[in-house]
Amino acid sequence: MKHWVEGMRDSFFRSLLNEAKKNRDIVLIVSDTGAICHDEFKEKLSEQYINIGIAEQNMIGVAAGLAMSGKIVYVYAIVPFVTMRCYEQIRVDLCCMKLPVNIVGIGAGFDYSTLGATHHGTEDISLMRSLPNMTIYSPADSLTASLLAKPNHQQIGPKYIRLDRTGFPLIYNNKEDVDFSKGFSVLGKGKDLYIIATGRMVYAALQVAEKLVAKSIDVGVIDLFRIKPFNQEMIWNVVKKTERIVTLEEHFITGGIGSTISEMLAVKKDAPVLKSIGIPNQFCGIYGERKYLQQWCKLDVDSITKNIKEWIEK
Amino acid sequence: MKNIISKKDLKGFKEKANWLRKKVLEMAVGAGAGHIAPSFSCVEILISLYYGGFLHVDGKNPDWSERDRFILSKGHAAPALYAILADKGFFPLSDLDYFAKEGSHLGCHPENSTPGIEIFTGSLGHGLPVGAGLALSAKLDKKKYLVAALLGDGECHEGPVWEAAMFAAQYQLNNLLAIIDHNGLSATGVLKNYLGVEPLKNKWEAFGWDAVLVDGHSFEELFSVLKFASSRSSSKPLAVIALTTKGKGISFMENNPIWHYRVPKGEELEIARKELNLVNKEV
Repeated sequence: MKHWVEGMRDSFFRSLLNEAKKNRDIVLIVSDTGAICHDEFKEKLSEQYINIGIAEQNMIGVAAGLAMSGKIVYVYAIVPFVTMRCYEQIRVDLCCMKLPVNIVGIGAGFDYSTLGATHHGTEDISLMRSLPNMTIYSPADSLTASLLAKPNHQQIGPKYIRLDRTGFPLIYNNKEDVDFSKGFSVLGKGKDLYIIATGRMVYAALQVAEKLVAKSIDVGVIDLFRIKPFNQEMIWNVVKKTERIVTLEEHFITGGIGSTISEMLAVKKDAPVLKSIGIPNQFCGIYGERKYLQQWCKLDVDSITKNIKEWIEK
Repeated sequence: MKNIISKKDLKGFKEKANWLRKKVLEMAVGAGAGHIAPSFSCVEILISLYYGGFLHVDGKNPDWSERDRFILSKGHAAPALYAILADKGFFPLSDLDYFAKEGSHLGCHPENSTPGIEIFTGSLGHGLPVGAGLALSAKLDKKKYLVAALLGDGECHEGPVWEAAMFAAQYQLNNLLAIIDHNGLSATGVLKNYLGVEPLKNKWEAFGWDAVLVDGHSFEELFSVLKFASSRSSSKPLAVIALTTKGKGISFMENNPIWHYRVPKGEELEIARKELNLVNKEV
């Protein structure tokens, strides 16, 4: 499995295409946004594929209407457009009415780095997290993404899936390793510190952990791939005996998984201390490749390692 | 066209309209809340749809899969729709007494947990996109039901209305009917004085729809256009622009924006009741 070369987007849609061939109730609506296997969708399953144009608000409304009639709908666009541009439609048409529409956002964090702040996915977790009846998935690799494409017939309310165009090397070798009942995976246990990461930052967390372990710090890593509903009880049982927790996300620190964990720790007695690492609450205002922007806000592996080490030694 | 309704039936529909206005007024007075004037402008439209045999729904079986879907996109006219749904047996008439009161399922804007209400509205510009999705579903599943959405004219300020209009034309959703309650007023003013919507009929036509202008308080004209809507052969969706008067039926409310969300009290209430022939009578 390690030779997997597809990013999350392509593995997600390849998996969805297979599902759609078996289940003709599946409908994919895109807002003028493509992916490799969409051509096949368009050609072979033309009744199940809609390019609705650059009209995200209408996209959510139409998705709601289709879902009310029993269709299994996936809507797809770049993260800020499929979450923020049509936020109130998501709230009213999907969350209020508990409709099981799958909202697929491509471009987590700085994925579309050079396209600038308009195309960065930096507030989506925060926004989606505040909506009742919403489920949020943020997969860390292509395998997890491909599994998330399968329809969940028990789903109540919408599901937001935050995808990245990257997704390899894989975090998981087998699909059985991704425990959807729990919503997170402990990728390594730690006594001194747990890094709770989401999306592609899980891979960064593993690299950081390796560096810290080399400096005799006992670090565990958790992949929090289901952000909502947040499995507070089980996560707490894993981390409660550690001294420190670091959250790691390519998202504004405001309102993301750092906030999620801080909400848990705030009501616990003798809780570990927390450091939230993410993008500071400002628009980058500079251009460059993703790696450059990550370095700009100290989200690269070396900066994170240094940051944590200094925090521990202080 | 005048023969589309018999004299006797016309009298019955007019009486029903009067009953509905009285009911809405008393519901709003009872709650001290609710949009009376916006409800009054669409009374004849709602009665034509629900009592004229154009909307196939069943109060005893609200989730009947073949039913026509009606969406009150201008959700603030909810009191008028509630009274009709109760009258049609979707829920007890006595529920209306609790309109917008503590613990009631009937609020100033409709929610789809209430039998007969298809979707959550109240926020404007939602009904047509969702309606377009329902109409597309019907096409995909080869179902015969009609989707009708009632929009306000001020609601046509909302961008998604036009996104959905483009979409419905592209997908030839001739099973989708948009009725625009064109009373010319919004919550704070006269549309043409701050953001005009004219020429409304041409706009819908330019977006690829068939469009018809009717007198929205004339049962003859409404019945005629609804009959046309259910029998036409065009591949385009249909917009019915219904010219109406906001607050129709109570003189001081008519065409006065301040009555968008205001409930009469004292002397005003007495006048309103008198004009609706409601003095000392049970509703």
